[in-house]
Amino acid sequence: MAASLFSVISRFLEEYTNTTPNKLKLVDAYLLYILLTGAFQFLYCLLVGTFPFNSFLSGFISCVGSFILAVCLRIQINPHNKGDFLTVSPERAFADFLFANTVLHLVVVNFIG
Amino acid sequence: MALFRLLSSLVLSGLVLGAHALTPSHHLAASDVARLEAVLSQSFTDLQSAYYSIVGLNKLGVSVADTDEACRFLQSNVDPTSIASLFYAAEASQSLSGCEIPVSNETRDFLLAAVSEDSTISQIHNSVSTLSSLGLPLASQEVVSALTSRITKEDNVYAITLALQTAAHLSQQADLSGILEEIEDLAARLDDLGGVYLQFEEGLEATALFVTAAYALSDHVDMEPPLKEDQVIQLVNSIFSKKSWDSLSEAFSVACAAAALSNNRFHVPVIVSALGPATVSHRQPLLQLQVTNVLCDPLTSASVVVESASSVTTKSAILNQSPFSLRDGIFELNFMNSQPASGYYQFAVAVTGDSRLVANHIELKVKVSTEVVISNMDLSVVDKDQSIGTKTTRVDYPSKAKNSFVADSHQNFAMSFQLVDVNTGVELTPHQTFVRLHNQKTGQEVVFVAEPDSKNLYKFELDTAERKSEFDSISGTYALYLIVGDATLENPILWNVADVVLKFLDEEAPATVQTKTLYVPKPEIKHLFREPEKRPPTVVSNTFTALVLSPFLLLLILWIKLGANISNFSFSPSCILFHVGHAAMLGLMYVYWTHLNMFQTLKYLAILGSFTFLAGNRMLAQKAVKRIAAEQSSRLAKYRSLR
Repeated sequence: MAASLFSVISRFLEEYTNTTPNKLKLVDAYLLYILLTGAFQFLYCLLVGTFPFNSFLSGFISCVGSFILAVCLRIQINPHNKGDFLTVSPERAFADFLFANTVLHLVVVNFIG
Repeated sequence: MALFRLLSSLVLSGLVLGAHALTPSHHLAASDVARLEAVLSQSFTDLQSAYYSIVGLNKLGVSVADTDEACRFLQSNVDPTSIASLFYAAEASQSLSGCEIPVSNETRDFLLAAVSEDSTISQIHNSVSTLSSLGLPLASQEVVSALTSRITKEDNVYAITLALQTAAHLSQQADLSGILEEIEDLAARLDDLGGVYLQFEEGLEATALFVTAAYALSDHVDMEPPLKEDQVIQLVNSIFSKKSWDSLSEAFSVACAAAALSNNRFHVPVIVSALGPATVSHRQPLLQLQVTNVLCDPLTSASVVVESASSVTTKSAILNQSPFSLRDGIFELNFMNSQPASGYYQFAVAVTGDSRLVANHIELKVKVSTEVVISNMDLSVVDKDQSIGTKTTRVDYPSKAKNSFVADSHQNFAMSFQLVDVNTGVELTPHQTFVRLHNQKTGQEVVFVAEPDSKNLYKFELDTAERKSEFDSISGTYALYLIVGDATLENPILWNVADVVLKFLDEEAPATVQTKTLYVPKPEIKHLFREPEKRPPTVVSNTFTALVLSPFLLLLILWIKLGANISNFSFSPSCILFHVGHAAMLGLMYVYWTHLNMFQTLKYLAILGSFTFLAGNRMLAQKAVKRIAAEQSSRLAKYRSLR
């Protein structure tokens, strides 16, 4: 059981490194960063307590929101999905990503207290 | 059929008897009439005030102090060119005996010319009254037609009242029916306030003048004014509720109204009030009533009868159709002759003798008071197990028992007495029968209620053991007082009957009685401010800060490993500007966190954002062009290589 799981994972990683274009890997690295940041914040909240609850919420939602926006960017610039996004060029996707992030972080900074 | 008629007549009579007619709640007392006279007796400053004073006092039946002086004043101040001036002088001179205002032919023609459709109602009224007072002829029909046409143009209360007053001076042959109808129209304009008052919104003066004019005209044409009895009483309430008057004209209008209501052919309101408190007793057995008209003149020709007098508690009738006798202007009845028991009685009094009387059925509450005497006051100390015989001591009011009584926890102290009406010998049950025990040393007092049994014998028993909590178990000598009081008793009683020594079993109470510390400063309340939340130690916070920031390092490492670089960085102006703008926006976020509020941030963000957007748009467009060109060239190269 463990052996098959391990082989599945290694196979997955291999295919990933080989087939994914570099751009997408960059975005994936960013996604991992965001994920870890959010996880560590949540861990702090579990261990130490929710004292400045608004700060915790704003930080956590910042991570969640950024993650979602980055996922959207990844979907839109993936050449595989070009057929679904005929009207959206990669530059347009990036511009949308930047704008949405600005709005998100405006709200986050407002709430961080 | 006959039964039905009998039934309906019974119902009708029941309704009539049950109908509660309105009686005046406000009226002038003799002192108010005197005050009115004083106001009107002030020395006159001009012709108008002279008119008000002279005519007003005349209406009250009083004459001016110096009639000759007044007459000379009128003659010297009259102005023959002013209709109002002539009116005041003429009317005032009529009230003074032997005073004549000489009038020339020119003045007479001037007055007659004023009677036309072009003059105001006030002018028509003044000229008609003047002509009538001076005994000069006038054409009544012309006046009527002038008034009728003016009434349609001047619709206010004062004008129509003056029109009514004018019509009262005209000949009875003239057709006054149109003007007579105005009384009813004007009465409809009165405001009913709470069912008690009826007055014009223009105020007291307008209402009083209306009443005067309406009765003057009604008397003149000998037709009853269309005012119901209740309305007349409501008018009385309105006009006589004010007991001090703002101006001479207001006082004058009240005097006119009072005269009109006390002496007209149709409605004379009756004012009935008791002289002093409505109380009778053996010392004062006469019930005295003042029956007057609105000017406080006693109605000596009327006959005053008690239709029924019944006790409020037992509802049994004591009197039926008993007359009052008149003595010195006061109507008296000796109520004690009917031997009423003490208490309250409801009287229904009727004033008859004149068909004009209004509000002549009155309800009155009369109190019969008496004196009480305490008899058979017996004090005793009874043993609880009743093994030792009781020793009863009789005490007579107002002396005190010679020996004091001792009662400890095995004994009860008992008291019994009777309260008797001194005149009739009937047993009484007053409202207040209290037994008060007062400890002279500590100042403590305890009050109990003595209750009567079925035979009206009052009993009081003090169970020492049971009642020790009221006494705080303090033994000692207590002075015993009996308190008797009631509204119908003329001699309330406070009697120190005896001294009682009470012995309680356990002396639980402290030696000194604590006076209630009500007025001593209370303990201070310390306000507890909200404790700030416990924060984790700085070490923990710092550790986690480092932990949360660490993935950023990981990101940089991964990016470098993936080969991210800025080799493609074009130094075009839009590119640089875009990055600068974007960096500025991030900086603005930090500044927002530390210094700014949302409005300021949005302002700066709008500026920076639009700038960055334009630069970024340019930059990305250039990038897109480059990418498409690169794709096309690579596709072309691939196509070429395939070929």
